[in-house]
Amino acid sequence: MLPYIIKSSIKSLYKEKWINLLSIFTVTTSLLIITLVAFVLYNVKIASDQLPERFSIIAYLKDNLSQEDEQRIINTLKSRNEIEGVRLVSKEDALKNLKETMKEASYILEGLDENPLSESIEIRIKKNFVSSSSVKSISEDLKKISGIEDVYYAEKVAEAIYTLKASLQNMSIIIFAAISAGVIFVIYSTVKILFYRRKEEIEIIKLLGATKGFIRMPFLIEGGIIGFLGGVLAIVGILLFYFAVTYRLSIVIPVLKALAFPVEILFFLPAIGIVLGILGSVIALGRLRL
Amino acid sequence: MITFQNVSKYYDYQAVLKGINFSINRGEMAFLTGPSGAGKSTLLKLIYLLEWPDEGDVTIGDFHIPELRPSKISDVRRIIGVVFQDFKLINNLSVYDNIALTLRIRGWKERDIKSKVSDSLKKVNLRHLSDSFPEKLSGGEQQRIAIARAIVGEPLVILADEPTGNLDPNTALDIIKLFKDINIQGTTVLIATHNKELFKHSGRRVFKLDGGNLIGEEVG
Repeated sequence: MLPYIIKSSIKSLYKEKWINLLSIFTVTTSLLIITLVAFVLYNVKIASDQLPERFSIIAYLKDNLSQEDEQRIINTLKSRNEIEGVRLVSKEDALKNLKETMKEASYILEGLDENPLSESIEIRIKKNFVSSSSVKSISEDLKKISGIEDVYYAEKVAEAIYTLKASLQNMSIIIFAAISAGVIFVIYSTVKILFYRRKEEIEIIKLLGATKGFIRMPFLIEGGIIGFLGGVLAIVGILLFYFAVTYRLSIVIPVLKALAFPVEILFFLPAIGIVLGILGSVIALGRLRL
Repeated sequence: MITFQNVSKYYDYQAVLKGINFSINRGEMAFLTGPSGAGKSTLLKLIYLLEWPDEGDVTIGDFHIPELRPSKISDVRRIIGVVFQDFKLINNLSVYDNIALTLRIRGWKERDIKSKVSDSLKKVNLRHLSDSFPEKLSGGEQQRIAIARAIVGEPLVILADEPTGNLDPNTALDIIKLFKDINIQGTTVLIATHNKELFKHSGRRVFKLDGGNLIGEEVG
């Protein structure tokens, strides 16, 4: 019985190809949007996860501090629970780093009579203390240590990434729910149309002794196939998008090359499509009198 | 095989069948006659469960209809083969697939379906039309295909609702002969028709309906 039902579902999909193609493209677009949101969220998550590992506070020291003073400050810092490690950056090292960072433009620094940079201490914070509020409080404490001129950390960047991650997470849930509901509605409508177009045939089949399952099954399969094909096309779309971003756009915007792609989601797209497709069909058939 | 006890059916509070009592025995062939609007089609619909009685009891085989659960409707329909005036064939399916559908619904294997459909087409003398589509066939051929579809599942009962209504007199008599052949094999047959020529001298019981009342029974 099942081979016949599958065969008749495929036949019906082909017979009503235009309406089905429209549904497939709508599902594709919806799944593409979901994937793009996941893609952005994934990269923001990577950035925010890497932040604690790369995050450090720079404490600029006052000029002409004695070695004892420097050691005292380092010991004070090391004694703090939140601090992973410290590294003293001499004025010479700071200038060397600056020259390396400026690369071709480093000739600007050639004419300097003396090194204008301060000695500093690079302070690495333990991962679990890297949050906007705790970094702020640590930084305030550091400023109170005598011999420290100023404290710097990428406050805005850290805050922005954390805020972006939190709001994107909330937004993606809303977007996922809204688009899933949209996909279900599209398939619901398609299945309803397919059902009404075959109403006469269904009436005959019923009189021949067909069970509700026999009548429903082809529509469930059709909904599933529409969702599956939508998912497969979304994979094609997202791969094209990814290669366009990494190979074409990254020539103009090199930072795009660093973007990571959640390959796992590709396997989920057809599955998400099938689930939403069948769900749409179930709802459509549930409201029909069989 | 089929029993009606005080069966009434109403549409919009108007009785279309009033207190009908009759029974048809297993293996019997009978006719149901009366003018248009007498209630013949409604009575048949109560047997193949397109309608439900508002009053009274209907029994079909071992099924007591008023107590029947909705999930069992398909079981009742599987012991009944129905032939309609407008044939009700599916135009986008071939003759073979139209007939095979009855068996596919019952979960038969394709290999068995093939031989069964072939036998059924042989009985109505239309084996050569297996690959044709219904729309390309004459009315008589379509009705024979509909009969082949009705008998392929070896039902206990065949119901025919004005089966010759769209056919010329000669074809109509051929169709009735076909029903007689089916009945000889042991299948109960009930034919609703207003055409008296079909049951004249048939020696079969004829139930007369008028205005929703069963007004009499005679032997044709």
